[in-house]
Amino acid sequence: MAELYDRHARPIYSLAMRILGDTTEAEDVVQEVFSQAWRQASRYSASRGAVGAWLLNLTRSRAIDRLRARRARPGGVSDDRIAERLPDAGPPADSQVLSSEQVARVRAALDELPLLQRAAIELAFFEGLTHTEIADRLEQPLGTVKTRIRLAMLKLRDVLAGTV
Amino acid sequence: MPMNAPEHNELREQAELYVLGALPPTERDAFETHIASCAECAAHVKALSPVTDALAHAAPQHDPPPALRARVVRSITGSPVKAAPVPRPVPTRSSAALPWLAAAASLILAAALGTYAANLRARIGALELRLQDATERAAAGERQLADVKRVSVEAQSQIAILVAPDLQRIDLQGQSPAPKASARAFWSRSRGLVFTASNLPTVPPGKTYQLWVLTKQPAPISAGLFKPDPQGRVAAMFETPPDLPQPIGMAVTIEPDGGVPSPTGDKYLVGL
Repeated sequence: MAELYDRHARPIYSLAMRILGDTTEAEDVVQEVFSQAWRQASRYSASRGAVGAWLLNLTRSRAIDRLRARRARPGGVSDDRIAERLPDAGPPADSQVLSSEQVARVRAALDELPLLQRAAIELAFFEGLTHTEIADRLEQPLGTVKTRIRLAMLKLRDVLAGTV
Repeated sequence: MPMNAPEHNELREQAELYVLGALPPTERDAFETHIASCAECAAHVKALSPVTDALAHAAPQHDPPPALRARVVRSITGSPVKAAPVPRPVPTRSSAALPWLAAAASLILAAALGTYAANLRARIGALELRLQDATERAAAGERQLADVKRVSVEAQSQIAILVAPDLQRIDLQGQSPAPKASARAFWSRSRGLVFTASNLPTVPPGKTYQLWVLTKQPAPISAGLFKPDPQGRVAAMFETPPDLPQPIGMAVTIEPDGGVPSPTGDKYLVGL
């Protein structure tokens, strides 16, 4: 477990920090993610990289759930918890392992996206907003926001695949 | 051929939103039902999943606090120490006369020792991580990383403006020299100004566009200079002074290269 922690804690903590912007909450999420990984550890065997992607997926779900709970108005209940929707299983055995070079390419490509495309992607991925919430936040028509997100995701996919 | 063509045509463009988690629950459920029976959409979703994996790594990287490691390992291996360790009072020979004082003193001592030990552990952990980090960076290529970081910081600050809680928006309309031009400014006192425009005519040589902030003061305040790309588009970020009076409008004029202290040229865009 210590080995798993040493290998993955930094990206997990960084993702939780990016989403929550709060060290205490980010630390709590890191602990929850490793606890869950440990409970489910006996049920899967997969490659390292796939474990990393799976752990980050858990991290994002838990962090976004906290963010949504924080945003929910007092009295309002967030009934759309994404962490509970995740399949109760380990990482898919056939998932692709990203190289650090691929991650660097995506980071660079993200920086080069038109500003509003990037903002839309980040609001969805790191703030957990839906398309209508993003359109409201950026004061853009919904159709425009959807198009921007599509274009940006396809661009990033092509960058990853190395076809650009 | 997908099983349900009309449904497929309607839903196929939702895959990108779906993998980003940007579909509201009802649309998300409908899409999940669809991909269960549509191999094409399922394959598309699968092809996009490395993108979200990479996005998860795109967050600015921070070292977790060294004490977190012990906390996580302890909480999982079920050692009797609680998840959030509290320094325990060191057993001492208690003074019968002033037991509360002895207890208080030992608590303080234990807390101080605990803090000292935690600080030492934290320093060692931080040094180890820094060393590891430095090694990795050297391998990855110092210069490339610095470059990516710089661009990332710039983009981060543009994003920071767009998501600022005190965001104010001003729409600008094209004036007679450029009736088709339009622009939008997002301004946050705490974070600065993002300016986007489209359909702006190319500037002649020796000229530049200058963006002005209009306030209750009589003189417009220059926010900065910009030139559109060949398609007439602009996306620029400007820092604004924290004591900038509340903007009531913005305007864009054409000026000599290098800009001027107060507007002299034709107005191309105005928003109030």
